[in-house]
Amino acid sequence: MTDIEITDPQYGDKIRLMQMLSFVRDPELDLNIVDLGLIYEIDINKEISEIEITMTLSTRACPAGDYIKTGVELMAKEAFTDYNIKVNITFEPQWSADMISAEGREELGW
Amino acid sequence: MELLQQHLPAKRTVIPYYVTAALSLVIVSILTFISLTDFKGHFFQPSILAITHLTVFGWGTMIIMGASNQLMPVISDSKLYSDRIPVISFVLSLVGTCLLVRSFWNFELGGMMFTGAAFILTALIFHAVNIFFTSKKAQHNNITIDFILTAHLWLIVTALIGITLLLNFRLGFLPADHLHYLKIHASAGMAGWFLLLVIGVSSRLIPMFLLSRKEVKKYLTIAYYLINTGLVFLLVDGMILHCTNSRLVYMGLIITGVLFYMAYIWNCYKSAIRKKLDAGMKQSFIALVIISLPFILLIGSVLYSHQAPVSLVSAYGYSFFGGFITTLIMGQTFKTLPFIVWMHLTKPNMLAELQPKDLYKEQLVVLQMALYLPGFLLFLTGILLQSKPLMYPGSIMMIMASVLYCGHVLYVVNKLRK
Repeated sequence: MTDIEITDPQYGDKIRLMQMLSFVRDPELDLNIVDLGLIYEIDINKEISEIEITMTLSTRACPAGDYIKTGVELMAKEAFTDYNIKVNITFEPQWSADMISAEGREELGW
Repeated sequence: MELLQQHLPAKRTVIPYYVTAALSLVIVSILTFISLTDFKGHFFQPSILAITHLTVFGWGTMIIMGASNQLMPVISDSKLYSDRIPVISFVLSLVGTCLLVRSFWNFELGGMMFTGAAFILTALIFHAVNIFFTSKKAQHNNITIDFILTAHLWLIVTALIGITLLLNFRLGFLPADHLHYLKIHASAGMAGWFLLLVIGVSSRLIPMFLLSRKEVKKYLTIAYYLINTGLVFLLVDGMILHCTNSRLVYMGLIITGVLFYMAYIWNCYKSAIRKKLDAGMKQSFIALVIISLPFILLIGSVLYSHQAPVSLVSAYGYSFFGGFITTLIMGQTFKTLPFIVWMHLTKPNMLAELQPKDLYKEQLVVLQMALYLPGFLLFLTGILLQSKPLMYPGSIMMIMASVLYCGHVLYVVNKLRK
């Protein structure tokens, strides 16, 4: 999962984006994708008004993969209307349940 | 990177199987009630054979075929090999089951029975071929796929033994008595088809639903080899060698295999992040506890120095199908079906307003479990004690649970029409 340092110059924008992305839930695992740890990297390029999100899915053949990807695009576009949104799916590193955030674990009763 | 929603199987490859299975469960529970007296007698009689085959083909195998058409592309990272084959398999299986069950019920060993059996065998071969070709793109060393493919192989073997038994009814060509081969037929079906398939599918679904952080796959591999060695032993010994006391060897192998599977599940549970289990998962875990019942009853029947009482043998079979398989499927239905329906309801370029959990009623799953489990235990005790006063309320509770389950399945499927 991506960690956003407070010293990051784009800290505010990235937090706002992550908050929007947390509206997207993995329907199979019933947890939002941010707490699931599916978002690996966010790159906001203000010069060309482009946001590049690198993310994964819980399994390579996740049947809800298209739905989740579309959800990420929609939510990012809603937060940053003037930006071009690019979503890359990667399976390196492979997702594991260890990537679930503390908040996510709490929601799951861990 | 290619995503796989385009690999979503068509509705017709999955939904008809679920609906037919749910209706079959209601018919099974009603036929069981009608035949209560027969459950006090020997298991080899028309009504019990009809109910068993309806349970196996109309209920268990039917829903497993539908679920595997949905799950196999996910496990194999590929599209279902054919969307047409499942339709053909479904029709053949449905017609074949109706013919076979009716023939058993009336004990008419004629053309209708052979046609039914032939239809079912053809359906199973078609289904197995589709699953095999779908799995070909999967990564190597995938133990889940090994379990599923081998289970399909045992399913075909079981069906072939079944047809051989039907021929033997007419022609009487087998050297040993009919009941001897019936036990091999039943064991191959229970341990070869159902058990291997359940282990394969659950080894994928349980850690996924629980969000387990640790999977000890080597336990699964050991379980795979132990159970299959036991089954091969059972087949070779039962059909050719006829060794005395060999049952202990292959039973030991199969039971040890199941224990390794249990150890795998236990590790998944211990390392799970999701500790709050929903009703469907709770029922599935109860089913995994219930699996000990048929094995305890089986050991009990083997330990008898002479012929085991028929009530013990009947209870063994009933605890497997009515207990383990039915409880597991009833629980897993509401883990899989709402998601399948949800996948077909989502629209492109829109976030879904409803999630899969909103498409079914959790309280109904709890109620279904509260009716079915005591009903099953009463009925099982009734079989063991040959007591109709125990079997009656048990059977009525199971009818109520099956009607509730069937109505709930139709309620979820009906969402597709809106």
